[in-house]
Amino acid sequence: MLDTDKLTKKFKDTVAVDNVTISLRQGESVGLLGPNGAGKSTAIAMISTLMKPTSGDVRLHGKSVLKNNGAMRAILVVVPQKIALYEELSAYENLKFFGRIYGLTGKKLEGQIQYVLELVGLSDRQKELVKNYSGGMQRRVNLAAAMMHEPEVLIMDEPTVGIDPQSRNHLLETIRKLNREQGMTVLYTSHYMEEVEKLCDRVYIMDHGKVIASGTKEELKGILSEEETVWIEFDKSYPKLFEKLGQIEGIQHAVTDEHSLKLIIPKGARVLGTLFHEAERYGAQIINVNVQTPTLEDVFLRLTGRKLRD
Amino acid sequence: MGAFLVKDIMLLLRDRSELLVLLAMPFLLIAILGFSLRGIFSGDLEALEMDVAFVTLDDEAQAVEAIQNEIDAMGIPQADAEALKQAAAAISPQTMLVSLLESENLDGLIPLQNMEQAQAAEGLEEETVDAVITIPDGFTEAALRNMLFGSGDGTELQMLAADLTSPQAEVLNSILEEFVGTVNFEAAISRLAGGETVTGAEVAGGVETITARPPISSFQYYTIGMAVMFVLFVGSTIASQANLEQKQMVFDRILLSDRPPLLYLGSKALAASLIVLVQLILLFDLSSLIFRTFSADSWSFWFGVAIISVVLAAAVGCLAALMTSLTLRLQSDAVPSIFSGGVIALMAFLGGSFMPMGGTPEILQTIGNWTPNGAAMSAYFSWLLEPEAGNLAGPLTRIGITALLFLLVALAVFPKKGEVL
Repeated sequence: MLDTDKLTKKFKDTVAVDNVTISLRQGESVGLLGPNGAGKSTAIAMISTLMKPTSGDVRLHGKSVLKNNGAMRAILVVVPQKIALYEELSAYENLKFFGRIYGLTGKKLEGQIQYVLELVGLSDRQKELVKNYSGGMQRRVNLAAAMMHEPEVLIMDEPTVGIDPQSRNHLLETIRKLNREQGMTVLYTSHYMEEVEKLCDRVYIMDHGKVIASGTKEELKGILSEEETVWIEFDKSYPKLFEKLGQIEGIQHAVTDEHSLKLIIPKGARVLGTLFHEAERYGAQIINVNVQTPTLEDVFLRLTGRKLRD
Repeated sequence: MGAFLVKDIMLLLRDRSELLVLLAMPFLLIAILGFSLRGIFSGDLEALEMDVAFVTLDDEAQAVEAIQNEIDAMGIPQADAEALKQAAAAISPQTMLVSLLESENLDGLIPLQNMEQAQAAEGLEEETVDAVITIPDGFTEAALRNMLFGSGDGTELQMLAADLTSPQAEVLNSILEEFVGTVNFEAAISRLAGGETVTGAEVAGGVETITARPPISSFQYYTIGMAVMFVLFVGSTIASQANLEQKQMVFDRILLSDRPPLLYLGSKALAASLIVLVQLILLFDLSSLIFRTFSADSWSFWFGVAIISVVLAAAVGCLAALMTSLTLRLQSDAVPSIFSGGVIALMAFLGGSFMPMGGTPEILQTIGNWTPNGAAMSAYFSWLLEPEAGNLAGPLTRIGITALLFLLVALAVFPKKGEVL
């Protein structure tokens, strides 16, 4: 349905997006996973016809939309990372404005406003000014505004940044509902692995402007089929010990996170004895040890040597 | 366009700080300036009263005699020589000046005290006199020579004041300049007219023409001055809103809706025009109601004011469109910030919102006349002094031309349909 072909964007000497080729089939939910600065937002801006690529193409049903973007704009909507709303207007007034610029009037407009407000669970607070909402509620209105003209393709750019867990779950549930029940095609970008795992059928992983891996969640995790993840939690941080453990023979990648250490090791590698021995030597107290099934986060770690949220 | 328009107006109505700038601030300034400078504008001339020492270093009788001797020596026909000699004796530039300063028009505001030069200097030092007018040696001879023979550089006067920047000193200076200019000008006219000499009455008449107009009060001056200045802030307010829409990606949403982008620009211009109209109506009405600024209650007077206001509002709308286009193109709030932070004050100064521009260099006056606010001020004042439609043609044409220029540049800069920034 929607494809990009070697999409590239250069800003002077910086290549923000480098030969990115992705595709979305009708009704599927696709994740674009990558750390901040990976080029996800730039890629989205080009896909949604808001930015011209330096080279490459964007096609809708096989036709390029670079010169004639009307067809794309008619079916697509972008929920931006920012709260793209008028804070001095109420949720209702915002939705009315966005509905009207899409040509909705009268009962249809009113009906659609009430439908999207119900969808995001804000019917009872529709008359309040957006500036008085919590961050999570603002994000929900941000999505509602995008839903006003019943788009076929929903592109979401980090829609859950900085919101409380309850609003985040509500938002994710709403997106899942739109995708599963209404067949809306979703392109969801995030640096939260668990969101992409929960929502998306297929995933593209981006880093430094390039797609470094793609496939279904299972296919990507298959990259780690010969490896496993060991997670060790300590009573406090031991920087020297963590550095030493990362250098033990057989450990492929090691990442620290305050009091814990995550290691990717070959399946069946016997490293735990050495780990415990070194911990004892440094007087470190181990609180928890867990051998985990690989996640997309681990895949990203394996591919780049970095965490998604580095 | 209705959706855009309603949205822009609702946003402004909910922005209290902007409303304060657009409505409360000019009204406050009208009150402050109107009260503090009422004496200068309203014809309440007491504020201009000053004690002036009059020093004569010139021997008028000797000058007349010298000129008459010169006429005798010219060898012209007797009848002509006699006429010129009589004229030389009758003109008396000194008497003309004294008559002017003590005339009814000035209502005894400038009582002259004849003094010796040293005494006058001492008086100025001790502040017993506010200013000294000195008739320099050779004044009469230079004036007569210029008037009768067309030779020399004409007359000159000297003025000293304790405070040259005071309104009184400025007024006195302008009266003297007017006098000198008139004498020299009338001399040139008389030569062109065949040598007929000017009389004291004619010169006084020239001055009288200036003061015979109905005076504009300080409240009228500053209601108009502040109104035409503060309407300009609407342009920067609208452009700032556009910048916020771009930063918050609302503009992206609007672009993705695939509405013609010109609808967006048109709504900005229209919203600005409507806001300016409301602003002008409120300022003029409140000022009239509270300060009794405009007593004219005829429909024709207010109709003229309405016409000028509509043209000015349209011009500010075009200005808002220009600033919106530049703001979106540059993706920065620099344009509205610079405009509201400095350009408006400069335009207001050049347009005469703070003080009349009569005494400034001509180039500044010309620039001021071509600013929408300056041209609108001219139009309002013309209408106030003499409500004749013909008087409005010049200033309204100037406003129209600048508005058209703003609009053309705005359209050229604004992103086209399908174009991305």
